Amino acid sequence: MSTTSTKPARPSQLSTALAADRLGVASVVFFVMSAAAPLTVVAGVVPTGLAVTGLTAISIAFLAVAVVLAIFSVGYVAMARHIANAGAFYAYIARGIGRPFGVGASWVALLAYNSFQVASYGGFGAIAAPLFADWFGVEIQWWIIALAAWALVAVLGVRDVAVNGKVLATLLVAEIVLVTVFSVVDLFTDNFAPSGAAMDPSSLVGAGAGALLVMAVTGFVGFEQSVVFSEESRDPRRTVPRATYIAVALIAVLYAFSSWAMISATGGNAVERARTEGPELFFNLASERLGSVALHLGHALFLTSLIAAMISFHNIIARYAFSLGREGVLPRAFGRTVPGTGAPKNGSLAQSAFGLIVILVYAIAGWDPLVQLFFWGGTTGGIGVLLLITVTSAAVVGYFARHREGEDFWHRVGAPVLGTVLLLVVTYLALTNIDILFGVAPGSTPTWAVPLAYAVLTLAGVAWALILRRSRPEIYQGIGMGARSASTTLSFSDPAPEAQK
Amino acid sequence: MASSQLPLADDLYLAAHDSARGRCLLSPATLGIGLAAGLLAELVLWRRIDVLDTKLAVVDERPTAEPATSAVLEQLLRESHHRLVRDWISFLATGVATDLVERRLARAGHVRREEKRGLLGTKVRFVPTDTSIAGWPGTRIRIASSRGEFLDRPDLVLTGLVLATGLDQHVLVTLEASEREQLFDQLRRRLPVMLQQLIGHAEAAVGDAVMARRA
Repeated sequence: MSTTSTKPARPSQLSTALAADRLGVASVVFFVMSAAAPLTVVAGVVPTGLAVTGLTAISIAFLAVAVVLAIFSVGYVAMARHIANAGAFYAYIARGIGRPFGVGASWVALLAYNSFQVASYGGFGAIAAPLFADWFGVEIQWWIIALAAWALVAVLGVRDVAVNGKVLATLLVAEIVLVTVFSVVDLFTDNFAPSGAAMDPSSLVGAGAGALLVMAVTGFVGFEQSVVFSEESRDPRRTVPRATYIAVALIAVLYAFSSWAMISATGGNAVERARTEGPELFFNLASERLGSVALHLGHALFLTSLIAAMISFHNIIARYAFSLGREGVLPRAFGRTVPGTGAPKNGSLAQSAFGLIVILVYAIAGWDPLVQLFFWGGTTGGIGVLLLITVTSAAVVGYFARHREGEDFWHRVGAPVLGTVLLLVVTYLALTNIDILFGVAPGSTPTWAVPLAYAVLTLAGVAWALILRRSRPEIYQGIGMGARSASTTLSFSDPAPEAQK
Repeated sequence: MASSQLPLADDLYLAAHDSARGRCLLSPATLGIGLAAGLLAELVLWRRIDVLDTKLAVVDERPTAEPATSAVLEQLLRESHHRLVRDWISFLATGVATDLVERRLARAGHVRREEKRGLLGTKVRFVPTDTSIAGWPGTRIRIASSRGEFLDRPDLVLTGLVLATGLDQHVLVTLEASEREQLFDQLRRRLPVMLQQLIGHAEAAVGDAVMARRA
C-alpha cells in the first residue's frame, strides 16, 4: 500500500481555500500593537504617571512587566488553542475556574475596557485643546473636542468601516518611527544625563512599586487581543504565540528605551518637568534639537494615536458585549449586528452612550480631564486588566489540570503556575499602593471606590450566573462560548419565560 | 401558495437583496455563510446528507436533480476527509456558494448580470429581473406568521437562516412580538433537529466572523 493512500490524491480545495484567508505573524502583531497605542503611552501615560506618582523607575517596570506577561502568555496562548471565544478573558475563567466567575470577569472586563475608552476621550480633549489654540488660535473647551472625537468613534463603531485596518497600520508605523526618532534625539540634548533611577531594579520592591507596575501593565493592554485570531491564523501552534511574544518584546523595548531617554534628557528634573509640562514633556525635550516641523508632526500623530486607541478599544468593548449577548448572559439585543456591515450594533451604541455620559459628567462637574479622566481612567482600566490577567492565569492552571492532552508540562503547568505566582505578587503590590498610583491621600475615594467597583461587579456577575443556572440552564451551559454558543442555543430556541416547561 | 417557491438558497439570496435596486443587505461574508448553509440544507432536504452534531455524513451519493447542489455533493464526496459542518460552511462561504446560487438564479431568469464600469475596473452584480418574485420570500414568511399559518420545511429553514444572518432586521421587522414568538415556536417544534443544528452552525459562523472582524 502506498503512503499516499491516506492523503487526498490532489490538494484539497477546501484546505487551500480556507488557508488563503489565514493571518500571518505580522498582521497579528500589527493588530495588537495598534491596540496598545505606543505614542499614547509614551507621550501620555508616562509623563502623566511621573507627575502624579512622582516615581521614575518606569523603564525597569516596563521590562519587568514584559517578562511577567511573556510567562503568562505561554499558558494563555496554549489554552487559546483549545477553547472557543479565545479573545475574551472571561472565556478562560469560565472554562478554567467556573462559569459564575466567568460572568463576574466579563463584567469586570467591560468596566476595565470602558475605563480605557473614556480615559482616551479625556486625554484627547485635554491634549488637543492647547494644540488647537496653538495651531488655529481658537480656544475650545476640552469637552467639546472630546465630544467631536466621541462622535467620530460612535459613527465608525456602528458602521464598522473596513478601510480603517490599513489606515491604522500606517499610523502605527508612523507612531513607532516617531517615538524611536524622538527618543534617540533625546540622547543628544543638552541636559542629557543617563538616568540610573529609571532602570533601578531595587525600586521594584520599594515603596510605590505597585503603582509603577500598574502603569506599566496599562501600557501593555491590547497584547491580550492576539488570541482573537487563534482560529484565523496560518499555524495555530506558531502564529499567535510568536506574534504575542514579538508584540510584548517590541512594546517593552520601545517603552523602556523611550521612557529612559525621556527621563534622562530632563537631567534629573523628570518629575518637576512632568508636573509643569504634562504630555508636552515628550515633545519639548526632542524639539530642542528637531525644530518645529517635527514638533507639529509629533503632535498631529499624538492625536491620531489617541483616536486609533479609541477606535480599537471601542471595537473590543462592542465585541465583548456582542459575545455576551449571543450567549444570552447580556440581553440578546447585544448579539445583534448591522446586517450590511457586521458591526456589533447595540454593543457599540451602548459603549457610545456610556462615553457620552462620562464626558458630560466631567464637563459639568469641572473635573480635570487629564489627571482625573485620562490618567485615573487609564489606571482604573489597568488595575482591572491586571486582575483579569491574574485570574485568567489561575484559570489556565485549572483548565490544564483537567485537560492534559495536547500540551507539554511547561505550557500546562510550569509557566502558568509561575505566571500566576508573579501576577499575584504584582496584584498585591498594586492594591496596597493604590493611593500612590492615583496620587491621592491614603483612604481617599479612588483608593477604595475602584477595588470596590470591581468586587461588586464580580459578585453581581457570580450571582447572575447562579440565577441563570436555576432559571435558564441552557444559557448557563453556553457561558464562555461566545458566538459559538449558537451551536447549542439558537436565537429562536430561547423561549419566552412563560412558555418554558 | 408556494407556487413560485425557489430552492431555499435562492430564496435566501433574493430576501437578502433590496428588491428594487438589487443592493445586497448583508455583507459579502455574511451572505456567503447564509448561502453556504442554505445549499447544505437543500442537500439535507434532498436526503443526500445528514448533519450529526458538528459533522455531516453523505447518506446518498446520487446527484440531485439540479446542478448547484450536485456540485456541492460532488465536492463533499471528493473531500471525504473533511466532515466538519463549520469547515464546509467556511469553505462554501468564501464565494463558492454565492457563485453557485447566482448562476442558478441567472439560469432560471430571476436575476440579470449587470456590469458597471467604474474607475477601478468593472463591477459585476446580479439584479432581480422581477421585483415581485424578488420580494416574495420575505413576504411569504411575513404573511404566514401574521395569519398564524404553518410554513413548509424549506421556508422554516429559510426563516432560520434569515434570523442567523441578521436579515430579520429587514425582512421580519414589521412583525408584532406575538407573531415573532409564534414563528419561533414553529421553528422550535417543526424544524428537524438536524436542520436546527445546521442553522446553529450558521449563526455561530456569523458570530465568529464578527468577533474576528471578518464580517
